[in-house]
Amino acid sequence: MSAAVDDVGQQTPVREPAHEDGPPGIGSYLFSARDLTVSFGPVIALDGFSVDIPRGIVGLLGPNGAGKSTFIKASLGLVTPKKGAIFVGGLDSRTQSLQIRDGVGYMPEHDCLVPSMNAVELVSYFGLISGMMTRDSMQRSHEVLDFVGVGEERYRQIKSYSTGMKQKVKLAQAIVHDPPLLFLDEPTSGMDPQGREEMLELVRMIGSSDKTVLVSSHILQEVELVCDYIVIISNGKLVQEGETKTLVAGEEGVQSLTIRGDEGSLTRFVRMLGEACEIMEAKEEGGKQMTLLIRGCRDGSRIFGLARDSGVQIRRYQPERLDLEEVFLRSFRGGGKDGN
Amino acid sequence: MGISPIQYRPWKGERTALNLRVYVILKSIFRHGLKSTGVKILLILAFLFVYAFQFVSVLLFGHETLDAGEMSSNFNAFGLALFAILLTAVITSDLISEDLSSKSFVLYFSRAIKTRDYLVGKAGGAILIMSLLCFLPPVLLAVVSILTQSGSDYWSSIKVLGSTVVAGVFVTVFFVPYGLMLSSLTKRRSYAAVGTFMSFFVLTIISGAFSEFDSAWRVISPAESLSYAVDWIFGQSLPSYINEGALFAFLASFIIVPALVLYWRVQRQAVGK
Ligand SMILES: Nc1ncnc2c1ncn2[C@@H]1O[C@H](COP(=O)(O)OP(=O)(O)OP(=O)(O)O)[C@@H](O)[C@H]1O
Ligand SMILES: [Mg+2]
Repeated sequence: MSAAVDDVGQQTPVREPAHEDGPPGIGSYLFSARDLTVSFGPVIALDGFSVDIPRGIVGLLGPNGAGKSTFIKASLGLVTPKKGAIFVGGLDSRTQSLQIRDGVGYMPEHDCLVPSMNAVELVSYFGLISGMMTRDSMQRSHEVLDFVGVGEERYRQIKSYSTGMKQKVKLAQAIVHDPPLLFLDEPTSGMDPQGREEMLELVRMIGSSDKTVLVSSHILQEVELVCDYIVIISNGKLVQEGETKTLVAGEEGVQSLTIRGDEGSLTRFVRMLGEACEIMEAKEEGGKQMTLLIRGCRDGSRIFGLARDSGVQIRRYQPERLDLEEVFLRSFRGGGKDGN
Repeated sequence: MGISPIQYRPWKGERTALNLRVYVILKSIFRHGLKSTGVKILLILAFLFVYAFQFVSVLLFGHETLDAGEMSSNFNAFGLALFAILLTAVITSDLISEDLSSKSFVLYFSRAIKTRDYLVGKAGGAILIMSLLCFLPPVLLAVVSILTQSGSDYWSSIKVLGSTVVAGVFVTVFFVPYGLMLSSLTKRRSYAAVGTFMSFFVLTIISGAFSEFDSAWRVISPAESLSYAVDWIFGQSLPSYINEGALFAFLASFIIVPALVLYWRVQRQAVGK
């Protein structure tokens, strides 16, 4: 029944957008969630969570216990939502979870490999269970094990593997049937820096083949490196989403200005600048240098003029660029670029 | 940087229908079971102890037809039960417990596999191996007996062959849900295996102790009740102290209760965690 796979791959979902001011490209989503609520007894793991996941590599970012894994499991039908639904390629998780699963690859966050099998056996076995023919699945297992970088060890029992190798085999079993949608739950967990880098490179390569790859993580730098789009979740709620480059771009019209000079001239400059535009933030850096966040000074030449007059030197003058950590922290402060 | 230079290659092959995927589980268990030396040894020993003599006597001594009474005793259900419980303990003990301890359930249930498919696959694989002990030899014995019979009443012989098939299927299936249930209750294979085996003997001992006072207690010994059931299938009369209702209630609950517990245990893994 390859139809189910094609469904997931090709159909355009029929649904109404979650947010009126949603991100660009609405209608091209493979995967979206509507008002998803999941609770475990008194713990509310997901609380009315709605999101549209565009194609490409999407980061699902949030602190421990935010509900990232729960969201992935709910998408697979491994936990039953109290409310809401998930749509994958036009399929509804409430009634068609089997067809959804058939087009999905899942790399769980915890250990899940059968220790008595070797990597080839395991990957080809789960390829068969995903509906591959015997010969295809054997051939493809070797192909994906080559891809993830498991060498001759593939013939050794999995119980003898290091954490890094297990992570690679977990990834291999998730991509053996080449699903259009991939859930990677903390793919770099437990790996050393080099292993992380390799894993991220693998994710990047998989993502370049027209797939939707949802990568959950609480490591900001990683997500920033590989993801085109970022969804930030906390306490089971969506707190922020957007393209990585927009999220880190900072607010429009806000400039970051670094100046250098003696104390007197710095004070004079800041006073004069304050009359010309709004100073949002001023940080002293060791007495002789300051970095200012300013808004509303359209004209750069005016600033350069003021600097000349007050005898300070301009070291850097550029639009504000946040790193993801800043975005993350701001979204939790309830502020953020469209919050305040 | 040691980064793999191999690019990701998409795969565009045919996928099998959803309902065929259970056979993957079934086949894998069957093949894995046959590779195990323990299973092979057990199968050979069981054949020697339970059926070798019958084959020899059928081949050596002339017989007019395949007689129901004779086949019922040749079926040797009591002896068969002892080996069947051993084989069950060996093959079913790791089928669920290993998935529990390794958490590999999620790898099944994140694919297009339902609880029912998973169980049918696991039980099917075990039943296939059990049939090598509990179905194939007695049916073969009946066939050999018909081929070597001197009389011409093939019709009555064929009817006995039919009973042999039914009895074979019954004994083949009988212990599997019980073994799988124990496997689903623990993460340790050894606990499941020892548990399967020991509970069989505990029931037998209790049955033996109580039947000193009242022979009706014999039904709670799985081996005894199984051999009464086989007698019944061959149309033999049961001893007067056996209450047919109690016998069938025991046999049915020995299959149904474990099957329900097993389903519940696996269902909890499939949805919920
Ligand atoms: N099976 C469960 N039973 C009870 N509570 C659960 C269960 N699974 C998750 N939770 C709770 O739901 C909340 C969300 O958990 P979840 O595993 O989705 O978080 P997460 O974002 O993946 O965190 P982490 O980064 O630690 O993996 C947590 O408070 C957790 O304790
Ligand atoms: Mg998690």
